[in-house]
Order: sequence, then structure tokens, then C-alpha cells
Amino acid sequence: MANTVIGSSIVIDGEISGDEPLTILGTVKGKVSMAENVTIESGATVEADVEGQTVIISGKLTGNVNAREKLELRPESKMVGNAKAPRIVVADGASFKGNVDMDV
Amino acid sequence: MASEDPCFIGSKTTVRGQVSGKQDLVVQGRIEGHVSLDSQLTVEEAATVEADVEVAVATVRGEVRGPIVAARSMVLEATAKVAGKLRAPSIVIEDGARFSGEIEMDVELPADVTAETP
Repeated sequence: MANTVIGSSIVIDGEISGDEPLTILGTVKGKVSMAENVTIESGATVEADVEGQTVIISGKLTGNVNAREKLELRPESKMVGNAKAPRIVVADGASFKGNVDMDV
Repeated sequence: MASEDPCFIGSKTTVRGQVSGKQDLVVQGRIEGHVSLDSQLTVEEAATVEADVEVAVATVRGEVRGPIVAARSMVLEATAKVAGKLRAPSIVIEDGARFSGEIEMDVELPADVTAETP
């Protein structure tokens, strides 16, 4: 099973890139650029521009998102930044500040 | 679940920059930069780490280029390919492992790499 998990007590300052699903439970600053799905779990803090297939946010994200398929803001999530994706779902309870570009 | 959850860098992932933390990290992919952990780092067989490594325990089955400092112990297993300076109170190099560089054992560790976790 190819998979990357950044654990809750891990801090990465830099760049993560690759071609497999990425789950973040810890802290990432810099840039995230994946060809697969990116999941930012509850409790995670991400200060980075995020690129992925489907991007699911349950934690905190400061930065721009570019999702090729879908962006999902789950309840309790907090996002500040611009979102670009063909499909965007914002759940009840999510907080978001920024521009949305659905390419319409 | 504090620091009980696993941390993996998968085989198709590259991390560039600074990685730090208090939980065990298993690398199957690639890390470039600096790794600083109060816990165990495992570099799996297909993994490549080009970094300054400062950890409590290091287990190497893959390729590492860069100095490795382990506060407790270090094992270069048979499939390991390591170049750099190794420093740890206890270092094991298994038959088959390839290593070039300097080894320093049984030395007083610098203040920032203590054997006990605070």
C-alpha cells in the first residue's frame, strides 16, 4: 500500500510532493503538491499551497488550494485562502475565507 | 492518540526541507534536507535520505547520504548503503551493509542531543 501519513507530532517545513495519497495529522509549512488525494485531518495545521486530485480538509489550512477534482471542507474545518476546483463542497460548520474559482 | 499514530513517507513521495517531531517515522520514499526526531527513524530498503539526520534511534535498510547522529543507537542492516559521518553511543553494522565515512562511538553527545526525552 503506497501511502504517506504525516503524524500528529511531526512538523515539516518545506515541500512534499509525490504520486500517492497523502494524509496530514501534524504540521506542514511550505508547499504540498500531490498527484493523488490530500487529506488534512482534524488537529492538523497546514500553512501551504496545496495541490491534489481531491483535497479534503477537516483541520486548519492557511494557503491556496488547487484541486483537480474536488475540494471538500468538512465541519469544524478552517480555511483561509483561495480555492480553485471544479467541484467544491462546504459542510455546515466549516469556516472559510477567500475566493472560490470553479472555472465556470 | 497524541503521538501513537504512525508516520510514513510513502515510496512515491518526496519531502524537501526540515522534518522534526517526537514520533517514529518510517521512510519508504525520499527525504532531502534535515531530519530531527526525538524518536526512531526507519529508512526502508527502497528509500533514499539525503539529509542531516539527528534522531534517538536510527534503523537503516536503504540509502542515506549525510551525517547521522543517534542519541541512543544505530543499526545499518544488510541492505543499507550509507555515506557520511555516524555518531552514536552504539552502532551496529550488519554483514552486507555498505558504508563509507567516519564513525564516532562512546562520545559525549552535544547538549542538544540528549539521550533522555524531556
